Parts: sequence; structure tokens; C-alpha cells
Amino acid sequence: MFSRVLIANRGEIALRILRACKELGIQTVCVYSEEDRQAPYLALADRTICIGPPPPPESYLKADRIIAAAEVANVDAIHPGYGFLAENAQFAEACRASKIEFIGPSADSMRLLGDKVEAKKLAKRAKVPNIPWTNGPIEDDDEAARWAGRAGYPVMIKAVAGGGGRGIRLVHNEATLRHSLPAARAEAQAAFKDPSVYLEKVIESARHVEVQIMGDRAGNVLHFFERDCSLQRRHQKLVEESPSPMLDDRTREELCKAAVRLARAAEYHSAGTVEFLTDPEGKFYLLEMNTRIQVEHPVTEMVTDLDLLQWQLRVAAGETLTMKQRDIQQRGVAIECRINAEDPARGFRPSPGKILDFRPPGGLGVRVDTHVHPGLTISPHYDSMIAKLVVHRRTRPEAISCMQRCLEEFVIEPIKTTIPLHREIFTHTHFLKGEVDTGFIERTW
Amino acid sequence: MIDVQQVRELIELMIEHGLNEIRVREGETQISLRKGPAGEVAVATSPPPTASPTPGPGPTPGLEGPSEDEGLVPICSPMVGTFYAASDPGSPSFVQVGSEVDVDSPVCIIEAMKVFNEIKAEVAGTIERILVQNEQAVEYGQPLMLVRLKS
Repeated sequence: MFSRVLIANRGEIALRILRACKELGIQTVCVYSEEDRQAPYLALADRTICIGPPPPPESYLKADRIIAAAEVANVDAIHPGYGFLAENAQFAEACRASKIEFIGPSADSMRLLGDKVEAKKLAKRAKVPNIPWTNGPIEDDDEAARWAGRAGYPVMIKAVAGGGGRGIRLVHNEATLRHSLPAARAEAQAAFKDPSVYLEKVIESARHVEVQIMGDRAGNVLHFFERDCSLQRRHQKLVEESPSPMLDDRTREELCKAAVRLARAAEYHSAGTVEFLTDPEGKFYLLEMNTRIQVEHPVTEMVTDLDLLQWQLRVAAGETLTMKQRDIQQRGVAIECRINAEDPARGFRPSPGKILDFRPPGGLGVRVDTHVHPGLTISPHYDSMIAKLVVHRRTRPEAISCMQRCLEEFVIEPIKTTIPLHREIFTHTHFLKGEVDTGFIERTW
Repeated sequence: MIDVQQVRELIELMIEHGLNEIRVREGETQISLRKGPAGEVAVATSPPPTASPTPGPGPTPGLEGPSEDEGLVPICSPMVGTFYAASDPGSPSFVQVGSEVDVDSPVCIIEAMKVFNEIKAEVAGTIERILVQNEQAVEYGQPLMLVRLKS
């Protein structure tokens, strides 16, 4: 096992990684930007190193400074968290070239799965269904229009090098398609340094269901069941739950097995998530695979009672997964609400400012993952997530009732947060029945 | 209670903006700073109210005369790495206390990932104090040396 790990992230995920390391007896080094100098979670680290001024490109994205910090602190490995450099294959390679382990998959797996075209080709080889698509990047717009005409509108224009919900445009007819293609290419070039785009058929009334997987270096891959993340706004998740309320056991099993096949085909080790769309007929299609630990990992931890961060550390250190697939079970229902510093009444405008009152809920099966404390100023430099409120109860109605109670109890003032929106979601008939799809939030609010 | 850090920050603000005078009041406490003819800064604070919560002798009311670090500017590390006072073990240090430096003078090496970076003073003056030791790990923004500016 590693003696010392450097945490190349901030906020709640830095705290999460710190906790996992401490329980395993691993010494911790936490980097921070000048803006995070007073963050209380830094006090838990054995050592802290300032790596730059507030803007991420000058600090949390500064790979050379992070590796330099890892060297001066003499660490064995770096945990990148999520976001920032977590899915940067070059960074993973640079760490390993400096004899510092990168807690995540190989750079090759990252590159393969980060290229949406290559990932779809891999899926085909692994017998994982893809969303009907152009089978490659679009070479010319006439070809694109022909394909879309045959496949049927609406279609999505997606960036080959995109991901995480970015670089996506929805078009309803040929005129809009032709009009949007040049803009989509320009956007893709600017955001991902690659203008290539492809087209995908839109799956109507889709649900977003993802499977948590974990691989070790011996080639074992296990799944930790699914999370339903259909409640999204502009492709950003708001609520996640496990098990998925509308999935029958047979589809669940096929979905999870498909995820494992894809991860094996990519020779994947460490934590990863395979995202799918399911249609009302119960068919599922690969969306993408994320090569990092995800924000909503606590949902899976609660239903399986397994510490995903600790397993990430173990497999990165060379240990093998000691359990068998049948040893992993889903117990009860877990639901997570992402509480952001945004004002739902004003178009989800960011609501930065100083938090004066912060009183999270508690009780049976309640988990709050947060770095926030009274006196903290929400920074405009970083993402607006304040806390992850997770509940875990035996049945879905009990979990919902618990969440409703928690959302009433949770006080965050004086800034505006998405708690009011969550309160409405948790009284909405469709959500209570489990009958939501990925368009629900945007249609309803 | 006098907040020395606050006084330091006010001095920096004055230097940065070329101010001659600044006065800050918070409740019963007032801090006045005025720049003298030789560029020195005089600091005066009004005493805290006598009914103070801390029993026994309180802090000395007022701080007369120029602060100790007035006119001293830090050279801060622009990177994370290991500080070396000389270009290699056999050579003499780039600077010592008393050394004159100007904007382009190398003052030390900071090594990271096997690359040795020469750090320039970026100010003109005399090295007053060296705050780190040879082979010490330094972080971004860490003050390495204090320079008394050439007036």
C-alpha cells in the first residue's frame, strides 16, 4: 500500500480522498490554491503545499507544479479526484514517468475511451449496443443530412473529443442541421482542440442509467450495480438514485454485464462509470464511459456498503479485488441531491457569496458530503456545488420521505441554493412514481 | 488589540497605490498611517476602549515610528520545488545578506522535476534577509528573501 498520497483537487472530493487515505493509514499531502488557503479540510492533511493563485489554469490544472509538489513531498501516488486533471492522459503519463503512480486507469484506456468514435468501435467489438450513429465522424454535410434523413430527426451533433455533457447540439430538421454543423465544429475546436463531430439519433423519453465498475491490474473487473441519473438540467445531474426505479432485474443484469464487457475490452483498471441511455421499450445504448471516480459515487457506496475510494487506492497500489461479483449486493435505496450555489428562480444563476449559516441534516441513513462551513465564501473560480445530500433507507418511499425531511431541515444562508428546486422535485407525482426521463427537469421548470 | 497583519496590508496598499495617507476606523479602533518625506511610514493607532474583555495589562496602545518591515519587499517563489542558494554545490551562493541586486539579478535556483530554474530578483535593492535554507522545499508564493528597496 502507498505510504504517502498527494491529493490534486479541492473541496468535497479532496476531503473525501483525505478520509479514505486516513482510514487506510496513508499519509496525505494536499495541494491548494491561494483562494483555498483557509479551507478547514487542509488541517486533516499531514502536509499542504500551495500551488498557485485562484484560477484553475494557474493552480489545480498546473500539472508541472502538482508533480513538483509530489516530488518535494516524496509521495508514492497522486489522486486526481474528478474534474481538473482526472481525465488528462498526458498528466497520468507525466506522473508515472516521474515514478509517481496516478490513481486511475492507464493513459491508453483514458485516450481510447475519451475518443467517442474509438469508444463506440470498442463497444461494437465488445457487443455493447451503441446509440444509432453515423459510424464515424462526418466527412461532409451532405452525407450528414442523408444519414439524418434516414435515421429520422431529431438528431444530436456531438464532438468526438467531447464528454461530460459538453459539445452537444440538438437539431430537429435538415435546415437547422446544416446551419449548426459549422458552429458545432468551431465550438469543438475551441473547447476540445478537435473539430470532428458525429451525429447520433435522439432516444426519446430516455433515462440515463450508469453502471459503476472497478478493475484491478490483474484484469478482474467487477460492477457495483447501477445509478439512475435521469434528473438533469443541461446535461448536469441534479438527483441520482440506486437502484434505478424503472429497471427490471433482467435488464439490470444485462446492463451491468455489458458495462463489465466494455471495461474489460478497454483493459480498464481503477474506478470507472459506463453511462447508458435506456428507452421506454427497455433497450439500452452506450452513451460514454467516464474514466474517473464520479461525483455521485456515494449513492453506490450506500447501497453496496463498499468504500469506492479505498478500493481505488488498493487497486492502484497493486492489490487485486478480493470479492466475487455475487458478493456485491444492492441493499435498500439510496438517493442523492446535489445542492449547488445557484438560484433556480433566476435561471440557475450562480449565487456566490459568504455562507453565514450552514446546518446540514442528520439521522438514520443520512450522509452529507461537503467541504462547506459557516464563514466560507463560495468562490466564482470553482464549481458551485455546496454539498451532496445522500439518504439510504430500506425502500424508495422511505428514502423519499427521509429526503423530504432532510431538505426541510437543511439550512444554508444567506446565499441562494437549489434546495427549493429539490423540495419541488421530491413532491412531484412523476418523480414519486419513478416515471421521469432526461427531459423532465427542463420540461417542468 | 493591534492587528499587525492588517497594518502590514495597509502599508502594502499605500505603496501599491502611491498613497500618502490612509485612515481606517472599525468600531473604537482607528489606524492612521502617513508617509513621511523620506518615504517612511508613520503608524499611529488609537488605543482600544479601557473596558476591554482581557484582564490585566493590555497591549501597548499605539505603535510609534516606522514598522520593522517597512520598505522591505519579499521575493516570492513563482513555483513549487527545492530551493538552492547556489548554482551547484561547489559554487558560492548567488546572494547573501547585504548583496546588491537589480531586476535581473539571479538570487537562487528552484529545482522541480529535474529542471533547474534561475529565479530573478525582479526588484532593485539590497538583500536584507534570507528566509529559507539550502535544499528546503518551497511552495508557490512562499517568501524566499526580503529586499530593502533602493529609494
